[in-house]
Amino acid sequence: MDAEIREMNLQNPDEFEQWRSFLAGLGIANFTADEVDPLDGTIGLFEGDRLMATGSYSENILKYIGVCHKTSENGVYFNKIVSTLLTILGQQGIFHIFVFTKPQYSASFQHVGFQEIVHSENAAFLETGPTSIKDYLAGIPKVEGVSSAIVMNANPFTLGHRYLVEEAARHSSHVYVFVVSTDKSLFNSQERLEMVKAGTADLENVDVVSGSDYLVSYATFPAYFLKSDTNRVRYQTTIDALIFKERIAPALNITTRYLGTEPHSETTNVYNEVLESVLPPTVQVEIIPRKETNGKIISARDVRLAIKDDRLADLTDLVPPTTATFITEHKVELQARIRKGMKIDGN
Amino acid sequence: MEIKKTAMDGTLESSDIQITVSKGTDGVQIDLTSDVQERFGEQIKQTIEKVVKDFDVDNVNVKAVDQGALDCVIKARTITALQRALGTSAEPAWEVL
Repeated sequence: MDAEIREMNLQNPDEFEQWRSFLAGLGIANFTADEVDPLDGTIGLFEGDRLMATGSYSENILKYIGVCHKTSENGVYFNKIVSTLLTILGQQGIFHIFVFTKPQYSASFQHVGFQEIVHSENAAFLETGPTSIKDYLAGIPKVEGVSSAIVMNANPFTLGHRYLVEEAARHSSHVYVFVVSTDKSLFNSQERLEMVKAGTADLENVDVVSGSDYLVSYATFPAYFLKSDTNRVRYQTTIDALIFKERIAPALNITTRYLGTEPHSETTNVYNEVLESVLPPTVQVEIIPRKETNGKIISARDVRLAIKDDRLADLTDLVPPTTATFITEHKVELQARIRKGMKIDGN
Repeated sequence: MEIKKTAMDGTLESSDIQITVSKGTDGVQIDLTSDVQERFGEQIKQTIEKVVKDFDVDNVNVKAVDQGALDCVIKARTITALQRALGTSAEPAWEVL
């Protein structure tokens, strides 16, 4: 029977139900709003009215790929779905595309030109397009000898972050600071990168680089294909840790990773725990206790609350002058983003 | 000629080839994925390279994902991808065809 590809509208309850029950039959069980709402588009491959294959995309990530092989030769519908998604994204100017999937499907994606970045027991992370992690690593400045590294979101860059960088810089010949790129924070990735650069400009052995798409953020990691949502942070962090250990550290000769503690965040605790179990002995993990001022730990969250409540005088104790200047200059815009609904109470 | 933007043509369906061309700095670099790589890999690359040369493009990265395409398909897909990347889709490239 001829198969036809159509766009699907998941806002339509009937189509949503057809899509959901099709994927549920393939073992995908998670259709929470957290997972489904960020989808930018969904396509379905139909034989008459019967859904035989589907795929979705969210920014540059393919999601909810599901194919029924009963009536087609192996791979035909899968290739058609992936091909159509790549064409749709290509028309939007998006060519560098990622997918998280179960490890057993990695080979299918590699067959259509994807390259595996890493895989863990539970998930594989692949990319395709004109650039790859190799190009990303080639673009980072290289230094003689070994380096240490810190990964931060810096939303925004506080005296706590500064303290962590200083400690690492004092105990290492060279430090890379990777700034997470995902734009799900009050300060966008460009702003955060600039603040970290400005706030560490006086430290000669520190290079600040963008984490690009390779420091996986909790915000982009999909959980729909995992058995349970409760281990999501652990799965995501394992992929993140493996990319660091297997791809980034060897290319840049990084032997130590510095972490900050976060007494009030369960997510950060899990993250640190996973890094400590995955990274050594390739990369040593050093944990630096959180900096305090006036008996209280410095938190980027408090900075965001101060911006929201227009208490800019409070910033002096929390952020370096470079960050304070940035916030003062961009106060109106930042407050507008908060009013528009940007969440600021996470960590 | 200079590649102006990244562009793609073709599909991942059987007997087709998906060609993505983007700016390069190091001559003509071809990254080929194909089931028939061992037997026909060189020939596929030569076909692509010939089209690139005919367009007078010196630096370009080509990603080719082949599903068993015939020579004429490889040529057609490469021409279209290059024309999109060069911004010349409206002008037929007679000298290449």
